[in-house]
Amino acid sequence: MSSGKGGKGKKPAKAAGGGAEDKREDVLQAVVIADSFQTRFTPFSSEKPRCLLPLANTPLIEYTLEFLAMNGVQEVYIYAATHQEQIESYIRQSRWTTLSRSCPFSSLEFIRVSDARSIGDFLRDLDSRSIIEGDFVLVHGDLVANVPLDGALAAHRARREANRDSIMTLVLREGGEGEHQSKVNAITPVFAVDPRAKRCLHFEEMHPLQADQHLILDPDLLKERELEIRSDLIDAQIDICTPDVLAQWSESFDYELPRAQFLHGVLKDYELNGKMIHTEIVHEGYSARATNLQMFEAISRDVLGGWAYPFAPDTNLVKGYTYQRWDDNVFREDDVLFGTDCDLADVVVGRDTRIGDETTIRNSFIGRNCRIGSNVQIRDSFIWDDATIEDGAVVEHSIIAEFANIGKNSTVARGSLIASGVHVGDNITLAPSTILSLISAEGTSVPTDTSLLGPQGKGAMFKDPDWEELDEDDPYRLQKSLIYSLDGYDLEDSDVSTLASEDEFEDSDDEQFLSAASKEDRSRMNSFASDDSTRGSSTFHYEATHGILEVLRGESGGDFGSEKLEFMSLRLANNASDEAVRRAIATAFVRRAVELANIENGGFDANKAAKTTLTQRAGAKEFITEVGVGGGSVPEQIEFAIAVQKACVSNARVLEVPRAGTLCAALFQHMYDEEILEEEGILGWWGDNRSSEGDSMAGVRERCQVLVTWLEEAEEEDSDEEESEDDE
Amino acid sequence: MDKFLDSLKGRPVDASIDYLVSLLKRRQIQGSESCALATAHILLQVVARDKWSDVNQLLERVQTVGRKLVAASPRELTIGNVVRRILGLIRDEAQEDRNDANNDGSSDVLPEPPHSAPLKLDSPPGKPIRPTMASALGSLTRTQSMFNILADPDVAPSFLLDGTPAASSGASTPLAHGLATNASALRSEVLDGIEEIMDEIKQVDDQLCGYSDIVIHPGDYVLVHKPSRTVQRFLTRSKRRFTVLVVTDPATVTAEDPYAILRKSLAANGSTLINVMNTGLMAYMTRVNKVILSARAITATGGITVDAGAAAVARAARASGRTVIVLGGVYKLSPDTQANQDLATEWGDPSRYVNFSDGAMVNNVRVKNAVSEYVPAELIDTYITNLGAHSRDHLHSIITDHYKDAEVSLDLYGKIRK
Repeated sequence: MSSGKGGKGKKPAKAAGGGAEDKREDVLQAVVIADSFQTRFTPFSSEKPRCLLPLANTPLIEYTLEFLAMNGVQEVYIYAATHQEQIESYIRQSRWTTLSRSCPFSSLEFIRVSDARSIGDFLRDLDSRSIIEGDFVLVHGDLVANVPLDGALAAHRARREANRDSIMTLVLREGGEGEHQSKVNAITPVFAVDPRAKRCLHFEEMHPLQADQHLILDPDLLKERELEIRSDLIDAQIDICTPDVLAQWSESFDYELPRAQFLHGVLKDYELNGKMIHTEIVHEGYSARATNLQMFEAISRDVLGGWAYPFAPDTNLVKGYTYQRWDDNVFREDDVLFGTDCDLADVVVGRDTRIGDETTIRNSFIGRNCRIGSNVQIRDSFIWDDATIEDGAVVEHSIIAEFANIGKNSTVARGSLIASGVHVGDNITLAPSTILSLISAEGTSVPTDTSLLGPQGKGAMFKDPDWEELDEDDPYRLQKSLIYSLDGYDLEDSDVSTLASEDEFEDSDDEQFLSAASKEDRSRMNSFASDDSTRGSSTFHYEATHGILEVLRGESGGDFGSEKLEFMSLRLANNASDEAVRRAIATAFVRRAVELANIENGGFDANKAAKTTLTQRAGAKEFITEVGVGGGSVPEQIEFAIAVQKACVSNARVLEVPRAGTLCAALFQHMYDEEILEEEGILGWWGDNRSSEGDSMAGVRERCQVLVTWLEEAEEEDSDEEESEDDE
Repeated sequence: MDKFLDSLKGRPVDASIDYLVSLLKRRQIQGSESCALATAHILLQVVARDKWSDVNQLLERVQTVGRKLVAASPRELTIGNVVRRILGLIRDEAQEDRNDANNDGSSDVLPEPPHSAPLKLDSPPGKPIRPTMASALGSLTRTQSMFNILADPDVAPSFLLDGTPAASSGASTPLAHGLATNASALRSEVLDGIEEIMDEIKQVDDQLCGYSDIVIHPGDYVLVHKPSRTVQRFLTRSKRRFTVLVVTDPATVTAEDPYAILRKSLAANGSTLINVMNTGLMAYMTRVNKVILSARAITATGGITVDAGAAAVARAARASGRTVIVLGGVYKLSPDTQANQDLATEWGDPSRYVNFSDGAMVNNVRVKNAVSEYVPAELIDTYITNLGAHSRDHLHSIITDHYKDAEVSLDLYGKIRK
């Protein structure tokens, strides 16, 4: 045996050696965002994080991690904010914990961010940790996908090799033009893609409630040879990113949403930063995100229908699951008791569940350890573990969470959501779309509404306070309920179908796009910010910065007089603080200077770039003095100087820290020359503690040493000194 | 599959097992040959690298692992087959060692023939030898099955429950004692045996090809369905001049001929290949002399699981009275019977037939796509394994040749609760 075995042993060992080398080169890392900062799953998500909700009786995150494991991911970082302990303890007990020998990942880490309020905060945190070494896959904890990523990864790597600026590849699934259950309702992502280079040129989200049902493209895009505008794509937000993506996130400290803001923003800033994003549109495989209850339902149906194969219930992803497929597409675990004359079709039934006599269940998911009485009718519904449905009850198209109890002969009508622990008494009929919970949105328990739920009942109507605050035209309203419906919204028919109008877009010979001025373009940003509740400062910053930049570039043809008016109105409209104003102006000027300093635009040196920025356009000086610095008092000057420094620091990603510092010094120098900043202002800034916070801030500050020394030593200008400054 | 084999070296055994389980679950390893080989590889690792001091421990361990693998992909019967073969192998080796001990001590009640005596003479009449094992193991002896059951109580828990704990414990004590010293010898013997099984699996195609000239006659019209590699090799090995009709699904029809290579190598022999749509199957059946199917697995009753679509071919052939020949290595022959035919069908991804982008279809129509299906025994005339051609009635004796009774009665498909 020795000879035969020795020979055999050698070959795989060699291969494994080769594999190990590859591994060192590119260990595939993945980041799972397990918190959405949305409340679309309330009232369920108030007790349990979204990624642990059972989709086809399997927690959502199992699918996500399995997808990553399938694609050879080795290191996983999970970001979670709310309910993090629950997610962590779930993972610790599952086969994914790295302590378990069966874990396919070499490492799986949780990262806590205490004050994160958005996905953007997570990614900026990730950037500051610098644990990401190479390409990584960014997914969300509610992803169900079986798309093989090999092709997309290879294509991404090839593009990255060819051009360092291609930073991200979006993996999108074709969804066809017609209606599709697995497409996100209400919000339609629209991608403008160059089909040959696969480059994504523009991204926008549209929804039926927005006022203007059209898409505005930068006229420059139409200079491309070919352009496809696609709204048929299912975007499961599987992104293959280079670490540069994180840098982009850090640079734009106001981005919160990965699509509406980050993707849109980076594509918009293409001319500024030159960062390219590509798409990989796949025609096979399955990918979708359970972003809301409607998607949750659709994905459950897809899993049941085999579309997500091999993720079917009888794949038994989780250890200990024993689903088997029986006739009529019934998946059941061991120890399920059926009464006589049960009629089941397209059903998943978990272990130890008992189903009484003459019960009919169709197209539903029943968890473990449920008690379902006799003569019960259940259709299109989701019954989670340990729920009880007593004799004669009727459940139509609803979700009934853990430990809930539906009394005898009660009726749960379409679209109802019954949170865990709620008891519905006997002979109760609930109105459609009733939402019941034991606790309120604030997390306190609520007194039982016995008039609604009967004497044995427990729980009350659930009201989401955010709901009232939402704008009428917020698409979130449409995604909230289990059943998607546009009833009750005042819509024109043509507005609803973004697909029907898609052809118009392509045929309308650019008129529509060209006629739309870029100013309007900026105002369109509103639709994005409203997606999250934090509209305001970020929108203002974005629009203001771009407005000033356009004037500086001389694109819009405007001058600083009109820009000032526009800027002030924007400021009033958004109720922006002085600080926000300073930040926006500083960012805009620094970006312009960086743009000029970049090689593509002639490669000015720092001094010249700063000078051109400040003097090229008439009125720039006045604008900064009046709007940016404010009254001109020394503290205000200090504030503005800090804002400029910060803007330089955030641009240190594009340049390096020393260059950014040089630029900062040059800007100060010229601001001094132009009498925007006074000596006291700069020296005050130098003394301010905030100017030396953090490494990069200090790094930038260090470069200004010469300027400050010079200011300190000599009152009058000295041309020799200035030249030495230039050399610096 | 290759990736899996690579990974075997660097990992602890348990991690490899779980890795294989998830590969099987994800169907990243599928097909009977890959499954069988992967199972053999992993059990090789279990035997070679796990710590065990006596046979009972090892048998139990192999069974546990086997159950996990079977549960991961319950429709791949070959996994269970290989697990059973290896269990039988371990038992045989242990038996042999025990015989040594017994002969030395001469204390056992059971009459045992001397292990060095020629095998055939010692075998009780009516108990055929195991052909493939015989070459590997030299001095192999079969003993009464009852003894096996009693000697290894862990193997058949049902027997234990029958109230024979005293007897079994009594029997197992000398076994354990005898083996403690021989564990390493046993280990290497078993490893050799597993290597043999793997070689057997790999050689099946070649051995099957040897029968192609017997099966295919000059001028024959042979109908095949989605020919597997085995069938393709079987056809190309034949030196005769004949015509092959390949049944294809409309869904798989593409611009290029998927069987171009087969067509070319057949043409070298002067044979021709014709693609036939499965819808027009019946029309061609009158012309066809024989149908050759490749089994994914053969059950004890003679029914086979096949790639989806082949059952219709078999039915068509039966209706026209044509011969249906099934190819499959002995390792595919399972002592299991498929009680429920519906359970034998693996349902796959419907997107082969309906594009997922077709929203109207996805929303409103339930599309089912069978990956494998079951062909009942009565539709099949002849089975060709690497041992030769068999009739349905003969399958049973092949099963008894290859599997021990304890393994045949072993329920690998039971509830898995860990």
